[in-house]
Amino acid sequence: MLIALASFALLSRDLLSGIIALGAFSLFSAVIFLLSHAPDVAITEAAVGAGLTTIIFVWAIRHTGRDDR
Amino acid sequence: MRKWSVPAQIAISFVLLLLFLPLFLSQESWPTTARDILAEDAGTQTGAENIVSAIYLGYRAFDTLGETIVLLIALSGTMSVVSLLKRNSEDERTPVSLDFSLEEEKRAHHRLRTHLLEVVTGKIGPIILLFGFYVVMNGHLSPGGGFQGGAIIASGIIFFVLGNPHRREESEIQRTTLHLIESSAFLLFLLAALVPLFITGEVLANPFESKEVYIIALNTFIGLKVGAGISLMCISMIERRNV
Amino acid sequence: MTSRLLLLILFFISLHALIFNPSLMKKIFALNILNSAIVLLFITQGASLGSRAPFTTESPDQMVDPVVQALMLTAIVIGVCVTSFSLALVVHLHSRYGSFDYRHIRKELANDG
Repeated sequence: MLIALASFALLSRDLLSGIIALGAFSLFSAVIFLLSHAPDVAITEAAVGAGLTTIIFVWAIRHTGRDDR
Repeated sequence: MRKWSVPAQIAISFVLLLLFLPLFLSQESWPTTARDILAEDAGTQTGAENIVSAIYLGYRAFDTLGETIVLLIALSGTMSVVSLLKRNSEDERTPVSLDFSLEEEKRAHHRLRTHLLEVVTGKIGPIILLFGFYVVMNGHLSPGGGFQGGAIIASGIIFFVLGNPHRREESEIQRTTLHLIESSAFLLFLLAALVPLFITGEVLANPFESKEVYIIALNTFIGLKVGAGISLMCISMIERRNV
Repeated sequence: MTSRLLLLILFFISLHALIFNPSLMKKIFALNILNSAIVLLFITQGASLGSRAPFTTESPDQMVDPVVQALMLTAIVIGVCVTSFSLALVVHLHSRYGSFDYRHIRKELANDG
């Protein structure tokens, strides 16, 4: 599942879809951290990866362009 | 580099994979010494029940100091590059539909804009801030701590800023307040790191009888610093005028 | 065992994209995915020791390794720092030269002198 999300994020031409796939990747890895009995790392990954990284990427897309070339 | 053809690229990646393969496939079992020692002594020696908090605030607190400094440097570097960007493009080429909030007289006529963003984020902001402070203060008993709570506090502050309809007029005050909070929290953290040097002779040692006071203080300072710093960087990205 | 192999494949997909993809934004995506893959590897390997979360109220025989989790906290925070700073630089490059492609930017730099 993670490999499918990562390859979709890296191969897509539309950058906004890539950002959303990256957010979903972070959410899935937070769930895996929770299943591996690591609650601190899960909270950090969910708050930082799915929240703050997505905000910063969306700001970068807004200033430049949604297309990849 | 020159443009490699696709089979050559895959071949190079495959060779690198074979080089790294023994690292990923070794069958040695994970050592258990650290866990056994920590499980017995961590509660009484540091005063924290959460062993992960006991590690990064008690045994390895110097790493936490270094990480806070790295965060400070990266955030100030990003803010300086962003202000350079805004100074270069002062002619406001971005279209109006990408703006986050419109003025009152335009809002009635613009069909695609609703009040949804302001209403939702304005109501949820205080709840998330409260949750963030709870996570910071209870970092030594339940999962949580300085960095986790700091990220949640940063999200709460961003919600506050997004949901404020009078954002243009108050942005100067918000930014100055956040700047003050971040700097003072970092200075207090440095003070709390250096004061035990005069009491017991070691940096970042726990000088109190009930050891929980020190851990809670460190957690609070880290949480405030991380939260204020990250939200300041995001606010400087969202605002369109310079600085 | 299978989790390690899958994470190995993930690591090398993102390493391949980091080296060979011409677009700068995709390189930053790949850095982020690399960071997450390594953190996943360490945490899943540390979880092979037991089945309870690391608190002092649990029994020490079944606890998961706590040292690994403290290290990975630092790794995640530094990953977000690097991502934000590199994104600021890439946005600056794009506003100056108009493209995400590093070959295009290199040609423009050679023309500027």
